[in-house]
Amino acid sequence: MSSTIFYRFKSQKTPSRILFDGTGLTVFDLKREIILNNKLGDGSDFQLKLYSLDTGDEIDEDQVVIPRSSSVVVKRSPAFKPNNGSILSGGGMNNNSGNNTVLNATRYVTGKPRVFAHTKKKQ
Amino acid sequence: MSQPSSNSFKFFPLGGGNEVGRSCHILQYKGKTIMLDAGVHPAHQGMASLPFYDDFDLETVDILLISHFHLDHAASLPYVMQRTPFKGRVFMTHPTKAIYRWLLRDFVRVTSIGTDPASAEESLYTDEDLVESFDKIETIDYHSTIEVNGIKFTAFHAGHVLGAAMFQIEIAGLKVLFTGDYSREMDRHLNSAEVPPQSSDVLIVESTFGTATHEPRLHREKKLTQLIHSTVGKGGRVLMPVFALGRAQELMLVLDEYWQNHAEELGNGQVPIYYASDLARKCMSVYQTYVNMMNDDIRKKFRNSQSNPFIFKNIAYLKNLDDFEDFGPSVMLASPGMLQSGLSRDLLERWCPEEKNLVLITGYSVEGTMAKYIILEPDTIPSVNNPEVSVPRRCQVEEISFAAHVDFQENLEFIEQIHASNIILVHGESNPMGRLKSALLSNFSSLKGTENEVHVYNPRNSIEVLIEFKGVKIAKAIGN
Ligand SMILES: [Zn+2]
Ligand SMILES: [Zn+2]
Repeated sequence: MSSTIFYRFKSQKTPSRILFDGTGLTVFDLKREIILNNKLGDGSDFQLKLYSLDTGDEIDEDQVVIPRSSSVVVKRSPAFKPNNGSILSGGGMNNNSGNNTVLNATRYVTGKPRVFAHTKKKQ
Repeated sequence: MSQPSSNSFKFFPLGGGNEVGRSCHILQYKGKTIMLDAGVHPAHQGMASLPFYDDFDLETVDILLISHFHLDHAASLPYVMQRTPFKGRVFMTHPTKAIYRWLLRDFVRVTSIGTDPASAEESLYTDEDLVESFDKIETIDYHSTIEVNGIKFTAFHAGHVLGAAMFQIEIAGLKVLFTGDYSREMDRHLNSAEVPPQSSDVLIVESTFGTATHEPRLHREKKLTQLIHSTVGKGGRVLMPVFALGRAQELMLVLDEYWQNHAEELGNGQVPIYYASDLARKCMSVYQTYVNMMNDDIRKKFRNSQSNPFIFKNIAYLKNLDDFEDFGPSVMLASPGMLQSGLSRDLLERWCPEEKNLVLITGYSVEGTMAKYIILEPDTIPSVNNPEVSVPRRCQVEEISFAAHVDFQENLEFIEQIHASNIILVHGESNPMGRLKSALLSNFSSLKGTENEVHVYNPRNSIEVLIEFKGVKIAKAIGN
């Protein structure tokens, strides 16, 4: 039996859906399906964020399960490279040297979930 | 995203920030919201080609101004108007609207061919979306000013392509100029961009060529015709990938005249020139209708001969490659300009294994496209219909730019005449844009620390620029 999760890109008027078998999808799998269904590419130049339709809160842990029949909001944003970051820091670049983490969506395409998501450094 | 304070001007790039492609910028001042352009990125397809629309609430936009018909400036407009909560008014010049209609119909068709049955869902919009959005688009004449809800804007000639406009926008006394793509060299059919009579406080300017210098037009024309002549003289074929409309018409004016003047050496019709674009053929009437918006030269030609100077004696239109008898030397202009897929790509794969053939790139090649890749003269290129197969590349590859964007000197001279103390760079890859920023800062370094200090910004997509304006502007606003 086929299950459905509805998602709506934040800038779109109408929702789309992902069909799957089972009682729910992890955030990781749902993001992966959305990227593949919309042919968004290899994930290197954008980030994909999920938000709860009810609370508006971001759901960012890869392992969280989104139950079937629920609705989420999706946001596609540019990949973020800290070293090339804000231009607001007085013309010079934000120099968080040592932190070269690029925030993008490649792992959803390559198929490697972020296992220790919750140990992520607090900003 | 922060809420701008009452005197702060906000610039927010949804696309075209440190990249060429998907031009789209948001301006906010005094509670008014203006959107500039709604393009797609030529190196991507479908949703991936869109500006980052999710990062801004499009429902708040009052007006959207489209600078010109090129896909990187206009092709996501039907999507914005039909698929998002956008409800603002949309303006463009008459010729832009006339060409836009044909162009996007072609774009819908091209992007929904060759994919699986789900393609209807995958294309960004349908023919119906296009028709519905088309009817809602309003037009603006050059040099006329329109006011919407306290936002005044005026259109000026930008050169570049037929219908291209710069917009000077005024909100509560603050003046912002958006150049779009612009050129400062008169060519065979267009005038160069104008400097608006009134100065601007903020200038949003293209930086495609960064600090590079162009050779003069006549040198480039000579190089182009000689290269083509020597290639066909040796029995080779010349492939010129072009965008269907705009710069292609300029190239055809150059080639048609050369073929006319060198008929005998070229074997009196033995070497055909083809333009494989049904779209361009359909748009010839638009070029005829708007001859009055072009330069004096071409208008005189039109008056004297009483015929459309864009109907060429030595160039034949081809609908597709089925009717093409590929027996000897020829010159072929074909779309798309970036060789991503379609006709120009098919010809590239057919002709690139042979040494005597030539691929001649005349447009600006966007990062990530085949046009950009072929310039590196790779030994092989991937076949677009069969990624397992690679095609050997032995043909010659040359690049002579007819892209009609300002070079550094032209850009600098123009920027100086605008007298803006805040310059925001858009429409350029990171490196040339960064070089342009440094060059501008050093050019204006003597003003540093004075009240006329020039600030230059080069924001990435979805990174906002906030500029505080105080005193004078408020007084002016009360005066209004
Ligand atoms: Zn353009
Ligand atoms: Zn452009």
